[in-house]
Amino acid sequence: MELLANLALGLETAVTPTNLLFCFAGVFLGTFVGVIPGVGPLAAISMLFPITFYLDPTAALIMLAGIYYGTTYGGSTASILLNIPGATSSAVTCLDGHPMAKQGRAGVALFMTTIASFVGGSFGIIILSLFSPLIAEYALTFGPAEYFALMVLGLIAASTISNASPSKGLAMVVFGMLFATVGTDSQSGVGRFTFGSMSLLEGFGISAMAMGLFGVGEILSSVGATRIAKIDSSSAKLLNMLPSKDDWRRSWLPGLRGSSIGSFIGALPGTGPSIAVFMAYAFEKRVSKTPERFGHGAIEGVVAPETANNAADQTAFIPTLTLGIPGSATMALMLGALMIHGIQPGPTLIVEQPSLFWGLVMSFWIGNLLLLILNLPLIGLWVRLLLIPYHYLYPAILVFLCIGAYSVRANPADVLIILGFGFVGYAMRLADLPAAPLLLGFVLGPLVETQFRRAMVLARGDFTDVVTRPIAGTVLALAAAILVWTLVSAIMRYRRGMKALTRNPTG
Amino acid sequence: MNKTFAATLAVTLSATAVFAQDSFPSGPVTIIVPYGTGGSTDMTARPLAIELENIWGQPVVIENKPGAGSMIGTTEMTQADPDGHTLLINTAAISTAPAIQTDLQFDPEADVTPISLLVTSPYVLAAGSNVKSDDLSAFLEEAEERPMFLGTAGPGSSSHFMSELLIEATDIPADIIHFSGGGEAQTNMMGGHSDTYISTTASVMPYVNDGRTKALAVLAPERFELLPDVPSSGEAGVTGVDINGWVALFGPGGMDPELVDQINADFAEAMATDRMQEQLEANYAVAGDLTPEEFREIYLRDIETWKRLAESRNIGQ
Repeated sequence: MELLANLALGLETAVTPTNLLFCFAGVFLGTFVGVIPGVGPLAAISMLFPITFYLDPTAALIMLAGIYYGTTYGGSTASILLNIPGATSSAVTCLDGHPMAKQGRAGVALFMTTIASFVGGSFGIIILSLFSPLIAEYALTFGPAEYFALMVLGLIAASTISNASPSKGLAMVVFGMLFATVGTDSQSGVGRFTFGSMSLLEGFGISAMAMGLFGVGEILSSVGATRIAKIDSSSAKLLNMLPSKDDWRRSWLPGLRGSSIGSFIGALPGTGPSIAVFMAYAFEKRVSKTPERFGHGAIEGVVAPETANNAADQTAFIPTLTLGIPGSATMALMLGALMIHGIQPGPTLIVEQPSLFWGLVMSFWIGNLLLLILNLPLIGLWVRLLLIPYHYLYPAILVFLCIGAYSVRANPADVLIILGFGFVGYAMRLADLPAAPLLLGFVLGPLVETQFRRAMVLARGDFTDVVTRPIAGTVLALAAAILVWTLVSAIMRYRRGMKALTRNPTG
Repeated sequence: MNKTFAATLAVTLSATAVFAQDSFPSGPVTIIVPYGTGGSTDMTARPLAIELENIWGQPVVIENKPGAGSMIGTTEMTQADPDGHTLLINTAAISTAPAIQTDLQFDPEADVTPISLLVTSPYVLAAGSNVKSDDLSAFLEEAEERPMFLGTAGPGSSSHFMSELLIEATDIPADIIHFSGGGEAQTNMMGGHSDTYISTTASVMPYVNDGRTKALAVLAPERFELLPDVPSSGEAGVTGVDINGWVALFGPGGMDPELVDQINADFAEAMATDRMQEQLEANYAVAGDLTPEEFREIYLRDIETWKRLAESRNIGQ
């Protein structure tokens, strides 16, 4: 009953004309920020942050949050249409979203990502309103050893997400982890591979990395391409946008699994949507009866990451609001918006500011509805974007990518970094090396390393102490099982292949 | 033209005349915040900027220049003209950096003019559920039996330096464990993975009030006026840990002392406004209220303390 009263209070707060207006402004802006590659939520929120001074704190937070989760809705658009992620957490959506577009199913892919975003978002909101305090409590039991185990599981499970040969995939994961070692060492504070540059002390930014590899890399490789496969604009017609029965049948389970994985990863303060998408995609590919379809336009490969990142967006508010612990720079900004109004974020926020907390939660739900209504009609418009000749579109995108890179910390070095990664991405395309595993290694590598070193400090150097912790041990055992299973099945496939080859030497 | 209007006009004109004579500020003032938007330092700087615009009648622009533990923005400030139109608001990080960053591109004494101590509060030694003791003396005994893990917000952070200072002053067996930022240090302590976290009053008090975290002591000779229930380290007989956390205003080296005095006075006026006083209260902190000379002494003394500590405790080497 208390929950109903809270929800009613929240709804009452969220539907006041001012709050509705700011909710709409937030999600509207978020959608556009998401569609534009390079410019992420952090940049958009930082720019709008100063005006929150003049707003009521609830309205301010509703708007900033709207930008945040609205970005994730729009982020998949460019991934699908251009193979350039609009936001870092949409990079994985490129893998199957773009092949779908090439098959003339861009409209279907965009339609499904919008539905998937709504489902994932709603799932996250339900978790957020029902179990916030419980989850926040549980998340505290996750220490360095548990995070280490979870990241190892993610790394092993997701290392085969690309369709390239496993050795190429693994090589790229390691390559990504190597890039992640640049910057200040987490335990000694010593600069690693910084070559005396202050700009490299904080390492390469994940968004500079993702936008360079995928965005600039894609643009560079299109230079000189005589003809780029044009996407048929007829896929924007409503009839061609509607998913088939088969699409729906294939999507609902991945959607549920993606939402669950996203909600879980999002609620942990040490992880976020970028990790959730990899885990969700890898999980789907592993449980799929037809994993070979992934990477060639499998609808599951679009639905799983898109439900996961939206669910993670919502549950990321759990540690932020119930503990006052921001899980990311963007979440820290949200807390900042409260602090300028003299509201101390912390464990007592829900009790002391019920209308703020529940108003925000209910605004999420309204915002997700608005995004659904807003995004479906926009699909036709986005698909028509492709009618713009690439020699106009790509330079414009390149400018946005550079602005986006610069805006994160106003450092010109980041523009050079994104261009550098663009050349790396281009070279990788030439050598037919997959970019997604590199990004995976880059995202998980530093977590694996730092959390392992912390776990070893806390275990006073005794590794058995790390693996005998119940959660960490179970997760590590699971990771080991997946590793063994992957190896065994690879060997069996290899043997079968050898047999087939000896039977039919000309084949 | 009625009389009131004429009077208002006269007052306005004379006020403009005073500004013209003062010559500072003769244009927009830029305050560099060497951290990201929405961080705690930014939170002090932004409302201050609004109050200063009222006082100065000139735009006051906040520029966020994060990176390299605040040294990117700080370096940029030291390279500006010392005419008061480019200022810096930084935390104690400006005093710890010289101890660990040997390749600084400025001289912390000659290239930096300390102007005002804006916000100050003692550090709080907080402990999580794994620690049984409720005060510092009991904690020191407990630590002898079970060596503690002192969590920090990262190597070179003020929580790191304060933890090392505590180990040095009390000689307890303890291990330092670094987390990525204060949030992680706080959650790991609450989750019982690490034992303590030394932080400013603003970041730790919400959890103390909630009962999830114990405040074992304020690291000061005497109790802090805003936290009368928290014992001081002095009461437990621990000395040599009484360094305060602060947020302060700096300018480039070689500023005119009169200009420094004026800016110090203007910021003191801004800090005295209701808006800033309310914020201080919410953060369990007080305004500095020192002359530039007095603050300069604290600044230089802190730099010396951290340099000495970095050498003796082998920090960042």
